[in-house]
Amino acid sequence: MNRFLSKDFLSGLMFIGFGLVALYFGQKLALGTTVRMGPGYVPRMLALIMMSLGGVICVVALVAGAEPVEKPKWKPITLVTIGIICFALLFERAGLLPALVVLILIASLAGEEFKLKEVLANMVVLAIVCTLVFKVGLGMNITILRGVW
Amino acid sequence: MDLLDNLALGFSVAFSFQNLLYALLGCMLGTLIGVLPGIGPVATIAMLLPITFHLPPVASLIMLAGIYYGASYGGSTTSILVNLPGEAASVVTCLDGYQMARKGRAGAALSISAVGSFFAGTVGTVIIVMFAEPLTRMAQKFGPADYCALMALGLVAAVVLASGSVLKAIAMVFLGLLFGLVGTDVNTGAQRFTFDIPELSDGIDFAPIAMGLFGIAEIVVNLERHLTRTGTIKVGSLWPTREETRRSIPAILRGTMLGAALGVLPGGGPTLGAFSAYTLEKKLSKNPGEFGKGAVEGVASPEAANNAAAQTSFIPMLTLGIPSNAVMALMVGAMIIQGIQPGPEVMTKKPDLFWGMIASMWIGNAMLVVINLPMIGMWVKLLTVPYRFLAPAILLFCCIGAYSLQNSTFHVLQVAAFGVLGYIFARLGCEGAPFLLGLVLGPQMEEYFRRAMLLSRGDAMVFLERPISLGLLITTALLLVLMALPSIKKARKEAFQEEG
Repeated sequence: MNRFLSKDFLSGLMFIGFGLVALYFGQKLALGTTVRMGPGYVPRMLALIMMSLGGVICVVALVAGAEPVEKPKWKPITLVTIGIICFALLFERAGLLPALVVLILIASLAGEEFKLKEVLANMVVLAIVCTLVFKVGLGMNITILRGVW
Repeated sequence: MDLLDNLALGFSVAFSFQNLLYALLGCMLGTLIGVLPGIGPVATIAMLLPITFHLPPVASLIMLAGIYYGASYGGSTTSILVNLPGEAASVVTCLDGYQMARKGRAGAALSISAVGSFFAGTVGTVIIVMFAEPLTRMAQKFGPADYCALMALGLVAAVVLASGSVLKAIAMVFLGLLFGLVGTDVNTGAQRFTFDIPELSDGIDFAPIAMGLFGIAEIVVNLERHLTRTGTIKVGSLWPTREETRRSIPAILRGTMLGAALGVLPGGGPTLGAFSAYTLEKKLSKNPGEFGKGAVEGVASPEAANNAAAQTSFIPMLTLGIPSNAVMALMVGAMIIQGIQPGPEVMTKKPDLFWGMIASMWIGNAMLVVINLPMIGMWVKLLTVPYRFLAPAILLFCCIGAYSLQNSTFHVLQVAAFGVLGYIFARLGCEGAPFLLGLVLGPQMEEYFRRAMLLSRGDAMVFLERPISLGLLITTALLLVLMALPSIKKARKEAFQEEG
């Protein structure tokens, strides 16, 4: 398709990008001297080396050609990430049970097949297992349902 | 004799009821997760890490080691029965193991691989016991500059021996080193890359990174591929025939030797051992045509090599504090969380932990054979559970595990963030292992580097003036130069192609 959309070229860009981020946010850190290095010395050194490696990777990818990147499937990664974030937001505010229901629902949507009956059964089983293992068994200090247990 | 005293101490620690229980629990849990298709030991350990944090140090390391063996064992089971390797090292087992299963010899393949692994594990443990003390004594002579050079060698060798693109892998090491620096600078107390988030001032927690990078990313990739599997799996008799036994014994011996030797190398570990053993068997065999069609040697030797290497790869970690592969990096991370800085001091300062862990390795191996082989039917049932049930369940356990680390939802969010990062890495063909090695070694390496420069009054020549450091750096440079040579580049490419 496009020679810029190869795995190598994009990963080179990624390394340069991370390097820039490190340099930008590390600019206030003191460099110090080679004898008494400040907190900024090693990060800056690492960022610069990584960026030059990234540059070399980019050039090699353009000159020699590289494997094209596969078209990503957005559904699984997006849904899984949203599921985990919802879990994190609900867990302390509402308790394990609501967090679990939302996570399992969203994560099940990420797969190929979705059968409501199966997902509900999965939720019931996992809710019982988690309550028994984490709350009763390991005695973890978690709320099952805020205001109830 | 000293050695026997040490071993006696180790076994007395490992044979306590509590530690036996944790070893057993670790083996079972490791197998349970490891047997799930597409999930290798690294992901398994990453997911189960939080469970071990609330235990005392010895118990937690014993349980982790158990998880590791269980996971590799579970991985072999999946490879043989459904042809889905969870990690690079079991790719080899798939080649002939699955063919044996198709011929109805799955049971024999499983028991040969289990017994072979046990034998190799025993030999590996003996080797650790023999080499641990001399190596530790040597390591105690190391100064900061030497350590820094040793880590550089370890990182480069790990990259060269164990991954596809060298350049990308080295860049990943640097990225890992950078992530390792997040937090409060030890020397000055300055906040680095913490973005005023209080949770980050102690550094990015290791467990959420490992869980996100390996666990979550792996689940997502599996969801994309939507694994399909064969309907019924027949295990058949567990007993190998006389012919199979006769052929596998020498193969197991050869595999053990080769694996044990290769495991000690940085970056060596199980994968290299398994591949070399398979190649060796194919060369030695009178009828190489049988390989790939269910040759029993093709299962016995790589499985033994795999396990021997898994065992001996503990040597650099335990004696020098240098992890040689991703699993060892996870172990180092777990030790640091327990307040133990891996390195030569562990053996002298915490002999009960050191020898107890070694003894428990052997116990763990024995447990796997004795307990797991008869339970094969249960694991097979687990294989038939569809992925659409498993994926949400694994995600859920990861989330609760991450939360339980410090009772904070911030860790759960970190898992999500590193899951995304891990997915990007996977899509771009960047390997997670070098990143993890860099991450674990980053803070230590910076410390040693800064201390060495301070001692030498800012003269970088110190790295070239000390003989140990110079030797290590020359070796590192040689490795890098070798990689650039065209002929080796070609051979290496072929080797990794066979892998994929």
